[in-house]
Amino acid sequence: MYLLAGGFIAGTFGALLGLGGGVLLIPFLVIVLGIPMHQAIATSIIAVIATSSAGAAMNLERHTVHMRLGMLLEIATVLGAILGGMTANYLSAGVLTRLFSGLLLFVSLVMLWRIQKNNGQEKLQTDGILPYTLTDQASGTELRYTVKKVPATMLVSLLAGNVSGLLGVGGGIFKVPAMNILSSVPMKAATATSNFMIGVTGAASAFIYFAHGHLNPFVASTAALGVLAGSMTGVRISRKIHTKVLTWIFAVALMGISIQLYLR
Amino acid sequence: MPDTKSSSNDTRYLAERWTSRILRVGVWISASFMILGLFLTTIFPSSVVPFPTNPSLGILAERIFSASFDPITLMFSGLVMLMFTPILRVITAVFGFAMERDWRFVFVSSLVFLMLACEIMYSLFLKG
Repeated sequence: MYLLAGGFIAGTFGALLGLGGGVLLIPFLVIVLGIPMHQAIATSIIAVIATSSAGAAMNLERHTVHMRLGMLLEIATVLGAILGGMTANYLSAGVLTRLFSGLLLFVSLVMLWRIQKNNGQEKLQTDGILPYTLTDQASGTELRYTVKKVPATMLVSLLAGNVSGLLGVGGGIFKVPAMNILSSVPMKAATATSNFMIGVTGAASAFIYFAHGHLNPFVASTAALGVLAGSMTGVRISRKIHTKVLTWIFAVALMGISIQLYLR
Repeated sequence: MPDTKSSSNDTRYLAERWTSRILRVGVWISASFMILGLFLTTIFPSSVVPFPTNPSLGILAERIFSASFDPITLMFSGLVMLMFTPILRVITAVFGFAMERDWRFVFVSSLVFLMLACEIMYSLFLKG
C-alpha cells in the first residue's frame, strides 16, 4: 500500500512539475522503503514507460508531438540507453546512488531555470528543417515552426539516453532544454516530444535490467500503476493550480534529497 | 469533389493516429494484467508461485499458454507487454510513414527498431 501511495504521489508531483515520475520515485524507493538501487532503477524505468506511453498517446492526438523529430532523436537516445543499461549493471549501488544524487542537484537547477524561462515569450523559427504545425489547444491557433541544429540536440539526446539507462529517469531534463534552446522547438512541443521518446528509451534499457534479474514483479507493478494513476491526476489538476511556488519548494527539497542520498 | 485538404491531413497524421492507438491499447492491456496479478496476490496469497529469478520470455510464454495464470506470471506478463509497447509503436511508425510515403522516416524508424531488436536479442542471450 505504501508503494502504491508513494508511486501515486511521485506520479502526481512529477506531472505537476514537468518531471518524469522517476526523479521522485527512486529516492522514495531507496530512502523510505530501503529497496536496492538497481531494483529501484528497474522499477522506475517501468513506471517511466507506463507514464510516457499513456501521455504520448494523448499528446499525439493533440498534435503537440513532433513525431519525426522524436524518431530522429531516438536513434541517439536508444544507443545511449543501451550503453547506460549495460554500464549500470557493472557499477556498485554506492556509485549509482552518488551519480543519482548529482543528477538530482542538476534537476533542481533546471527546475529553477524553467521558472525563469516561463516568464519569457517564445519566438518561433521558420528557417530550419522538419517543419511542423503545433496546435495550441487553449486558443485553437496553429503555430508553424521548424527545427534547427539537429546534430547538437542529438548529442544531448545521447547523453539523456545514457543517463536514463544508467539511473532510471526519463532524461527529459536534458532533452527539453536542448530541443528548446538549441533546436528552437516551442517549450510545449519540446516537452511533448521528449515524453513521446521516453518510452522507447526506457524499453531499450528495461530488457537489460530484466535480463540481470533486477525486476521485482510485485514492486514494479505496484509502483508503475501508482505512478500511472498519479500522473493522470497530476495532468488534470495542473490546469487548475499555480505551479510556480510548488516548483520552488520542490527544487529546494530535491537539493536536500540529493545531499541525503550522497551521504548514505 | 473530395475535400483535398482534409484527405491530405488524414494521410499526414496517419502515423501519429496509429501510434497513439497502439500506445493506448498497450498500456491498458499491460495495466490490466498487472492489476489482476496484484489483486490475486492480495486475495489469494497462497496462489503465488515464486520464480527463482526473472523468468525468460520462453518460460513466461510457456506458463501463459499452459493457462498457469498465477499472480507472478500475470504481473511479469503485464510488465513484459508494457516493455514491448514502445517497440510496437516504433514498428507502427514504420508502417505509418510508409503509408505516408515518407521513405526517409521509414528508414529512421527502421533503424531505431533494428537497434531495439539487437538489444532484446542481447538480453535474451544474456538470460540464456
